[in-house]
Amino acid sequence: MNVETNQVSKPLLGSKMSNESFITLIMVGVLFVLFGIACAVVPNFYLPRNMLNLLTNNWYLIIVGIGVSFLLITGNFDLSVGGNIAMTGVFAVYFCQAANVSQNVLANGLGLPYGVAVLLALLCAMGIGAINAFFVAKLKVPSIIVTLGTMMLARGIAQIVTQGAQRNTSLPDVFGVVGSMSLKGTPIKVSVVIMVGLVIAAYIFERMTVPGRRTYLIGANAEAARLSGINVVRHLTFLYLTSALLAGITGILLASEFKAGVSNRALGYEFDALVISLLGGVSIAGGFGSVLGMFAGAVILSVITSSATGLLLSPDWQFTLKGVATLIAILTQRFALDKRKG
Amino acid sequence: MKLTENVLEIQDLVKEFPSVRAVNNVSFDIKRNTVHCLVGENGAGKSTLIKILTGAYMRTSGTVLLNGEEHNPHSPRDAKQRGISTLFQELNVVDQLTVEENLTLGMEDTRFGFFRKTDKINKMVNVMKSLEPSISPRQLVSTLSVAKKQIVEIAKAVATESDIIIMDEPTASISESEIARLFKIVKSLRAKNVTVIYISHRLDEVFELGDYVTVMRDGKHIGTKPVAEIKDRSELIRMMIGKTVFEEYTPKEVGSQEAILQVKDLCNHKLNGISFEIHKGEIVGFYGLVGAGKTELARALYGVDEYRGEITFKGKKLPATPDKVIAAGIALVPEERRTQGLFTVLTIRGNVPVMNMEKISRYGFINSTQERKVTLEYIDRLRIATNSTEKEAAKLSGGNQQKVVFSKCLFADADLLMLDEPTRGIDVGAKSEIYGIIRRLSEEGKSIMIFSSELPEVVNICDTIYLLFDGSMKAMMKNGPDIDSEKIIHIVTGGE
Amino acid sequence: MKTAGEGLIQSPLDRSSAFRSNIKKFYIYVVLVVIVIIFSVVKLGQVEMFGRGHFLSPDSIIILLRAAVPILTLSGAFTLLMISGHIDLSVGSAMSLNAVVFALMILNGFAFLPALIITLIMGMAMGFLNGFLVVKMRITPVIGTLVTLNLFKGIAMLIVPDGLSAIKSSAEKQMPAWINDYARLDVFLGLPWAFYVALAVIAVLIIVQRKTILGKYAAAIGGNRTAAELSGINVVKMSWILYVIVGFFAAAAGMARASYMSLGDPLSGDGMELDNIIVVLLGGTAFSGGEGSVPKTIVGALIIMCVTTGLMTVIPAFWQTVAKGSVLLFAVVLNHILVREKVKC
Repeated sequence: MNVETNQVSKPLLGSKMSNESFITLIMVGVLFVLFGIACAVVPNFYLPRNMLNLLTNNWYLIIVGIGVSFLLITGNFDLSVGGNIAMTGVFAVYFCQAANVSQNVLANGLGLPYGVAVLLALLCAMGIGAINAFFVAKLKVPSIIVTLGTMMLARGIAQIVTQGAQRNTSLPDVFGVVGSMSLKGTPIKVSVVIMVGLVIAAYIFERMTVPGRRTYLIGANAEAARLSGINVVRHLTFLYLTSALLAGITGILLASEFKAGVSNRALGYEFDALVISLLGGVSIAGGFGSVLGMFAGAVILSVITSSATGLLLSPDWQFTLKGVATLIAILTQRFALDKRKG
Repeated sequence: MKLTENVLEIQDLVKEFPSVRAVNNVSFDIKRNTVHCLVGENGAGKSTLIKILTGAYMRTSGTVLLNGEEHNPHSPRDAKQRGISTLFQELNVVDQLTVEENLTLGMEDTRFGFFRKTDKINKMVNVMKSLEPSISPRQLVSTLSVAKKQIVEIAKAVATESDIIIMDEPTASISESEIARLFKIVKSLRAKNVTVIYISHRLDEVFELGDYVTVMRDGKHIGTKPVAEIKDRSELIRMMIGKTVFEEYTPKEVGSQEAILQVKDLCNHKLNGISFEIHKGEIVGFYGLVGAGKTELARALYGVDEYRGEITFKGKKLPATPDKVIAAGIALVPEERRTQGLFTVLTIRGNVPVMNMEKISRYGFINSTQERKVTLEYIDRLRIATNSTEKEAAKLSGGNQQKVVFSKCLFADADLLMLDEPTRGIDVGAKSEIYGIIRRLSEEGKSIMIFSSELPEVVNICDTIYLLFDGSMKAMMKNGPDIDSEKIIHIVTGGE
Repeated sequence: MKTAGEGLIQSPLDRSSAFRSNIKKFYIYVVLVVIVIIFSVVKLGQVEMFGRGHFLSPDSIIILLRAAVPILTLSGAFTLLMISGHIDLSVGSAMSLNAVVFALMILNGFAFLPALIITLIMGMAMGFLNGFLVVKMRITPVIGTLVTLNLFKGIAMLIVPDGLSAIKSSAEKQMPAWINDYARLDVFLGLPWAFYVALAVIAVLIIVQRKTILGKYAAAIGGNRTAAELSGINVVKMSWILYVIVGFFAAAAGMARASYMSLGDPLSGDGMELDNIIVVLLGGTAFSGGEGSVPKTIVGALIIMCVTTGLMTVIPAFWQTVAKGSVLLFAVVLNHILVREKVKC
C-alpha cells in the first residue's frame, strides 16, 4: 500500500489564482514600483515619448524572447538566437548583394531577388534550429551546451561571410524598406508593429491553442506528458524551429534597418532574452510563465537601462544592473513561491 | 548499548494517514542475530512499518526499542547511524566509484583531507571478501551486476556495524545462482552479529532462510512464529489472507464477444513469453506481487518500453509509441498518479482534456467553453469532490486525483483501458466508487485491463484473472463463486 | 535478467566493455598527438620542421604554453565542479573582474604579493556567492551563474574609468613594467612563473581528485546524490566548497591574464566558460556528474590551445568562431558516445 500523506496547504494569498498568474502579477507589480521610482528619481522620465520608447526599445529582444520563453517553459535553453540573428542578417545581405560588381569580395553577393534572398536566409536560420532540435530532443544532450555550440557556429558563419567585418554595399533599395519604415503618420516603426503582432500571436498560442497547451504540459511533467500521448520530441523540434525562425526574422529586420549584415550584431542578445524571460517570471523549474510576463520583463529592463542613461550613468552600468535585477527577480520569485506553499 | 535478547521491540505501533491507518497497533519482537522474515500482501503495511524503522516516516504513536533504547530516527541517515541499514531495490551505491571507495564512503580516515591508509579499509575489505571473494575491491561498481552491488551494500552495512539490515525484496532482480549466493551470505550474517529483516513475497524463501516470520495483513500484526513451527505454505497463506470475505462477484458472459486484443509471446528484459486475449467488454485482471512484471507488461503494451512479440489490437498491429497507441484506442492509468498520471501543478480543467485535445478544439484553437463543459461533465460523472474546475490537482485527495486521471483516460475515447494499481492509496469509499465506474464502463462495451497487487480488488471485479510471477504468466482463471484464493496466492508466490 | 552466473571467466560482454573502457582512457591522448601531427605537417612546404614559424618550433611552443596558462590554471578546478554535477558559467567574467582588480592594484602601487593575495581572496568571495545562489538558494546552476556572469562583468566594467577600455598605463600613471614578469618573464626553458604555477596547480588538483576526500565526494555527489547523503556526506558544504575553489582559480587565471597583457581588460575573460566546457567535454566528463578526470581535461585544454593557435596560422581570424563551435559540437558527440549508460546484463 502506498499511501501518500495528504497535505492540504493553505495558500497565503488568494486560493483562486494559479502560481503562474501570481508570479506574473508580482513582476508586473515590480515593474510599476520600479517605474514609480524612476519617475521620481530620473529627470524627464515622465515624458510620453519616453513611455513609448520604454515599450518598444527592446522590440528585437521581445521577438526572440518569445521563442526563448517557450523553450524555457519546457525546461530548455536556446542560446543560439544571438548568433542566429547575426547569421541570418548577414546571409540576407549576402544573398541580395549584386553579383560581380566590384573587386572587393565583400561587395559581391549572390544577386538573388530580394524575396528569394529573405526566404533562403530564413531557411538557414531554421537550419540552426534543426541542429538544436536534433541534439536536444533526439539525442537528449543538455540544451545549454548544444545551443552554446550552435551559437558559435551561427556567429562564426556570419564572421566568415563578412570576413569579420560587415557587408553593406551593392544592396537593392528594397532591402532597407522594412526595417526603417514607420506606420503612416506615426513614429512607430514597422518592426515594432511586427513585434506587437508576434507577441499577440504568441499569447494566443500559449493560452488558446493545443500546441501552446502542450508546451506547458511538457514543462509541468514531461513523463506524464509522454504517457498522455504527447510526442515530446516532435514538439521540442517545433519549438526550436520556431525560435530559430523568430531569430531569423529579427535578423532580417535589423539588417534592413541598418542596411548591413554585421558579424557582431546581436552580441549578448541570447542572454538578454533569457534575462527578460526570467524578469517576467518564466520559470525553468515548473513549466509556467507567460509571454506577457516576458514582455513585462522587457519593459522592466527598459526602465532600468533608460533610468541609468537618464541618471547619466555610463553604459557600463548595464551589466551590473541587469545582473542585480535578475538576481532580485529570481530570489523574489523563489521566496514568494516558497511562502505560498505554506 | 545493551545486548538485549531482542534487538528490536515494536510495541503498539500506529501510523495514521488522513484516509487510512496503515499500521494498526502492531507489536512484535525481533530476536538478535536471526533472519526475521516479514510477509504480507501489498497493502498489508510492511513498507510503512519499514519506513518508520528507517526514519522515512514518523510514527503516529507507539514505541520502538532498538537494543533496549528508544528508536525514533528523524531521517534515513539518522536511522543508519543508529544501526539500521537498508537494502532497497534502488541500489544506493555510487557506480562511478570503486568497491573500496563505496565501502568507505562517508567513513574515511583522513588527515587534512588526505586519505590515510589505516586498518579500517582493510577490515572493511576483509568483510567484503568474506562475503564474496570474487569481487575485487579495486573494481568500478558500474562493472558489477545488480547482485554483486547488493553484496557491496551488505558488506558496507556489516562493516559499519549495523545491528539490523533490512532487505526489501532483494531477489526481485537477480538470477537463481545469485540468489543461492545471497542466501549463503544472509545466513552467515547471524554469526557476524547482524540481524536481518527480510521482506519477500516468495514464500519458499521464508522457509529456506527464515528463523522467524511475521505476517501482516491490513495494517495489523497477524502473528509471529518460528519458521520451524509452520507446517506448510498454506498455513502462511491463510495467515496472509485471513478470512477476508470477498465482495460478491457477479458473473458475466464474456467469452462470446470477439477478441479485441491479442498478445502472443511478449518478451523483453523482464517478461518471458506472455500470451493472452482480451475480449470486448471484458474486465481482465493481472495479479501478482512485487516484481511479477505487471507494470512492465502495461508499459510494453503502451509502447513505453521495448519488446518483442506480436500484439494485435482491433485486428491491426499495435503501434509502439504512446501517442500512437492512444490514437489507436488504448489509454493507460499509470501506476504513480502524482509523477506519471497527473500534472499536479495544473488545475482539474488543465488535466482532464489532455489526452484528446482535438475534441475540444477546432483548427488547433481550444474552445474554452467546451473545455469547461467537459471538465464539469466528468466531475459530475465520476463525482470528483470539488466545487470548481479550477482546483489545483495537487490539492485533491488521492481518490479524487485518481478520478481525474480516470477522466483523462475516459476522455480519450479509448476502447481498452489499462489500469495500473487503480486504487492504490485510496480510501474505501473512493475505492468502491471506482469499482462502480469500472463495472459501468464494461457494461458500455469497454474492455478493461487491471494490473493489481490487491487480491480482493481483482477477485471483486475481474471476469478473468491472469496470474503473474517473475515475468511469466503462470495461470489463467475464470472468476466465479468458487474461486480459490489460496491457490492464487500459492501460484503468485512461486508455487506450481 | 537470468545469466549463467558469474565467475572469474570473462564473458564476451566483459571483453568488449574492457576494450571500450580502454578506448575511453586513451582516446584523448591519441587526439592530442593527431592534432599536433596535423599542425606540424601542414606547413612543411613553407617552413622547416622545428624551424622558425613551425608549429613545433621552440618559439611557437613557448607562445602556446604561455597563452595556455589561464585555462590550464582553471580547468582542473572546473572539472571537479562538473564531476559533482554543477556548472559555473561565470568563470569568464570572474576572470575578467579579477584581472581588472589586480591591474588596478598594481597600477596604484601595490606590490605583487599583496595584490595577489587580495585578488585570490576576492575570487573566493565570488565563488562563495555562486555557491550561495546555487547550493543554498537552490537556483538552477545555469541560471544562477548566468546572473553572476552579468554581475561580475558589470562590476569589472564599472571599475574601468570611462573612456578607457581597460586598466592600463596612461598619461598620469604608468603600469610598472614588472607586471609582465609573472606571465612572460623567462624563468626556465623560456617559460614564465605563471606556467610553472599552472603546472603545480594541475599537480595539486590531480592529487586532490585522487587522494583526498574532496575528489571522492565530488564524484559521489555527482554520481548518486542520495547515496552520498545517506553515507553522511554534507552535500551542501562540499558543493559550496567546490564553487569557492573554482572562484579561487578563476582569480589566479585572471591575474595571470592581467600580467600577460599588462592591463586589466573587463572583456579579457570572455569565452573562458565556453573553453572550459569544451575541454571538460573533450576530457570525457559527464555533464550529469560522477565521471571526469583532471589529467584528461588538461589534455583537452592542450588540444584546444593547439587547435586555436594552430588554426591561427592556417586560417583567417574570422574562422575561429566557427572552428570553436564545431569543436564544441564535436566534443558533444564524442562525449555522448563515450559516456552513454552501458546496459548491463
